[in-house]
Amino acid sequence: MIGTFKGLLTTARWLLKRPVTAHYPEQHLPVQQRYMGFPALLMDDTADEPFCTGCMVCVRECPTQCMSAQMHDNPNFTDGTSHRRKIINEFEINLNRCILCGICVDVCSFDAIEMSYEHELASYARTGSRADLPQLLNLGRRYVDMSGWSPANAEKNVAEVALAKRAAAAAAKAASAGDDAPADEPTEGGE
Amino acid sequence: MTAEQTYDTVDMMLNMGPQHPATHGVFRMVLTIDGERVVDVTPHIGYLHRGSEKLAENESYGQVVTLFDRLDYVANLNNELIFCRAAERLMGIEPPERGQYIRVILAELNRLASHLLFIGTYAIDLGAMTPIMYGFRERERIQNMFESVTGARMMHNFIRIGGVKEDVPADFVPRVRALLDDVERGVHECDRLLTFNEVFLARTRGVGVIDLPTALSCGLTGPSLRASGMAYDVRKDYPYEVYPYLAYKVPVGENGDCWDRYYMRVLECYESLSMVRQCLDQMEEGPVMAQMRRIARPPKGEVYVHGENPRGDIGVFLVSDGTDKPYRVKVRPPSFCNLVALRPMMRDAYIADAVAILGSLDIVLGEVDR
Amino acid sequence: MRSKPVQLAIAGVLFVGVGVLVAVFTLALALLGEPDDNVTALTVGKIVIALFALLTLITTLGISLVWLERKQLGRMQGRVGPTRVGPFGLLQVVADGIKLLMKEDVSPGSSSKAIFYVAPLLVFVPSFVVWLTIPLSEDLVVRSLDLGVFFFIAVSVLSIVGLILAGWSSNSKYAILGGFRSAAQLVSYEIPLILGVLSVVMVADSMRFTDVVEAQATVPYIALLPLAFVVFFISGLAEVGRTPFDIYFAESEVVGGPFVEYSGAHWAIFFLAEYVNTFVVAALGALLFLGGWVWPLGDLGQVPAVAIFLGKTYFLAVVIFWVRATLPRLRIDQLMNVGWRLLIPLGFASVILIAVQRFYGWPTWTLTLMSLAALVVAAWVQMRMQRKDAVATAQRYAQRAVEVQPSRRRPGPESQQA
Repeated sequence: MIGTFKGLLTTARWLLKRPVTAHYPEQHLPVQQRYMGFPALLMDDTADEPFCTGCMVCVRECPTQCMSAQMHDNPNFTDGTSHRRKIINEFEINLNRCILCGICVDVCSFDAIEMSYEHELASYARTGSRADLPQLLNLGRRYVDMSGWSPANAEKNVAEVALAKRAAAAAAKAASAGDDAPADEPTEGGE
Repeated sequence: MTAEQTYDTVDMMLNMGPQHPATHGVFRMVLTIDGERVVDVTPHIGYLHRGSEKLAENESYGQVVTLFDRLDYVANLNNELIFCRAAERLMGIEPPERGQYIRVILAELNRLASHLLFIGTYAIDLGAMTPIMYGFRERERIQNMFESVTGARMMHNFIRIGGVKEDVPADFVPRVRALLDDVERGVHECDRLLTFNEVFLARTRGVGVIDLPTALSCGLTGPSLRASGMAYDVRKDYPYEVYPYLAYKVPVGENGDCWDRYYMRVLECYESLSMVRQCLDQMEEGPVMAQMRRIARPPKGEVYVHGENPRGDIGVFLVSDGTDKPYRVKVRPPSFCNLVALRPMMRDAYIADAVAILGSLDIVLGEVDR
Repeated sequence: MRSKPVQLAIAGVLFVGVGVLVAVFTLALALLGEPDDNVTALTVGKIVIALFALLTLITTLGISLVWLERKQLGRMQGRVGPTRVGPFGLLQVVADGIKLLMKEDVSPGSSSKAIFYVAPLLVFVPSFVVWLTIPLSEDLVVRSLDLGVFFFIAVSVLSIVGLILAGWSSNSKYAILGGFRSAAQLVSYEIPLILGVLSVVMVADSMRFTDVVEAQATVPYIALLPLAFVVFFISGLAEVGRTPFDIYFAESEVVGGPFVEYSGAHWAIFFLAEYVNTFVVAALGALLFLGGWVWPLGDLGQVPAVAIFLGKTYFLAVVIFWVRATLPRLRIDQLMNVGWRLLIPLGFASVILIAVQRFYGWPTWTLTLMSLAALVVAAWVQMRMQRKDAVATAQRYAQRAVEVQPSRRRPGPESQQA
């Protein structure tokens, strides 16, 4: 009897409290600072071109093979307005396959891909969740607007932060060149 | 019609699952029932088989972590932890202490989330509708915390070989402390609502009893084994990470019935809360990632590492052939091994007990089928 | 919580609603008229119209409980319940009903079609027919039968047939299990229900509902007969299959029991019957134990009387849903134990206590005392048998827990100081 009455009191107490429900379409809970939504490509505003050079590291490292990329010679490089020899030509991410693991962001050496805050990508079309280069850059723009990301304060960039931490921790061994991340980027497939 | 006439009864086969609401995913029990009594039970698994172990052979070590996220999808961080520990053991590296503290804090928070989910789903198996809402509310808070730390609510890919992905946010410690107070209230609420409820007691006490020798021979681990009276806890018996720095209790039952298995988990919730608090007290500044090459490439060799998951003793057997991809990954999933005990527990059960017993084992099919 | 004008508006709408209810009911009564030997097309037409009016009325009352339950359960669980359709989500039930009517009506290929489609009606009809004699206020009753209470019990049992037929004709294992469970459960709990009602009848000296209510003008019977009320309420819960007795359609065991194969409109009828039945039990509790439309401050007139009666009924419904929000479900054998070993003896105890009190002419307050004493004894026995053991076990576990002390000291400035 006592147990039942205690339970009844517990439920009755909640009758008087405020519900914790968030009314979804009207009320969006804010995502956290580090939230990893769908990946997006970022624009280099100084050169007016994507950061991405199409090096394919993310494509190869993706556990679900959800991306495809193709590079071409950068016309701006021949003009002299850019320092990138190669630039991304086509980039497609199948967001249905993406598992939001963030590995592509970790491996990218150019800060070109970031996990954006986008998480509501429902669409009526079957191909609605295939994002091509312009769409990805669009997502990237929105992400930059929302998060205030810039190459200088790439807080979310793991490689950068890890490097900085490592440098701080191993100040004594700063001379050793063994942990320079980009230099350690071997091509895969050499089993 | 004479008085001596005997009636021939035929046992009925009842297919419970794979789409039954009480089988926690896609588990199928073929019950042989005589009226309301269960005569025999045959578990059928494999509906969620994704070949994770085989897939892991074609993924680099960093990518395998994402597969482990999806084994026990209720306790992701615990699973990530066990694989990363295996790879680290093979490579002979040890993550820095702050990294270990962060790992343990996250793992214990995830254990809390998992146990809260268990309390809720167990209540709903027994027909009580409210605890799952309370449990989910608190679990949601924990997942918000995970989101602010790891960037994801469930599939984190945060614990990496050699440490964790990045340091925790600046306001982590005060936020977790506030979170712990909230969650403690929530656990207490579920506890008060369910533990000594007369109907709940009637449904769980003395149901699905398994004695210690049978439990051991079935390979039962985790809270389900402790409910039968053996204080086996990997954290205690084979300490890892920073668990040796912590003071905690390992709750032990004696009857081995459903109520004990439930109550062990409630008590463990309180222990996890205290462990996280101790970790927060002890944690100091420092690096979170060990110094290592960016691409993990363990030397040739093999290693078996096990740890305490919310569901029991999870083990990983990892064979490396010296390349950047594991040669073989074998998981000893606690849910799968605990399922072996289903049959001995089902002795003299009713159909309703079958649900209660299966619920008390707290299986996660992602882990059973891999 | 809400501002004053909104509260007033809600109260006004509720009062108008009760007024409409009374008006429709009165109209239907007028249409029905007195029993007549010469049947003409006109009388038949009148009766049909009146029946439709009553059906709509009762259905509305029934589905109002759906909204109430969803809202209340939601709030008790920290949610909000329905909010989308209509103000406060009031029209959600209507939307659901329309959806169900639009759905395809599927039946299993191997089911016995005729029985399969008749079964929902067999469940619904008794829950409608009992309203023949349930009064909303002194005059607002279709037929105030002398044996009203008896009629109610006799008719409400019939819905079991529908449940069994639904389970059997579906040709599904879950459905047949649910059907058997419902048969066992409803038949056993009919007895304590009758014993609880019988206690009231003995005290009131009448089986007519209006007499029973009038007899409670001074003291409602819940104060005189708490034991009978408890027995009645628990077995009433079991009669309509509310938690903790929702065994025959237990979702996590037999996945909906007899209803598992039904869809669309036929399922909607089952659903409606369930809530109308719940309303009937709550109304019966209000009539027999809470004093129906009687108000201590004297006669108020038709509409307030109905409002008071409905208020008491909804109060009991809220308690039913409150119990649902709190308790798990019993097992079938425990259900039988509660019925046969606890409720039936308690029911007989109640009847015997009343008989003794009536025979020796003791003052009525002795009834309260004796009832409470019996309840306390029952609760005490339960605690001795069950709770004490569990609490002791829990305390033992708290002590038995193996304590693990830090086996190594953490190397660091803080711990070195400590």
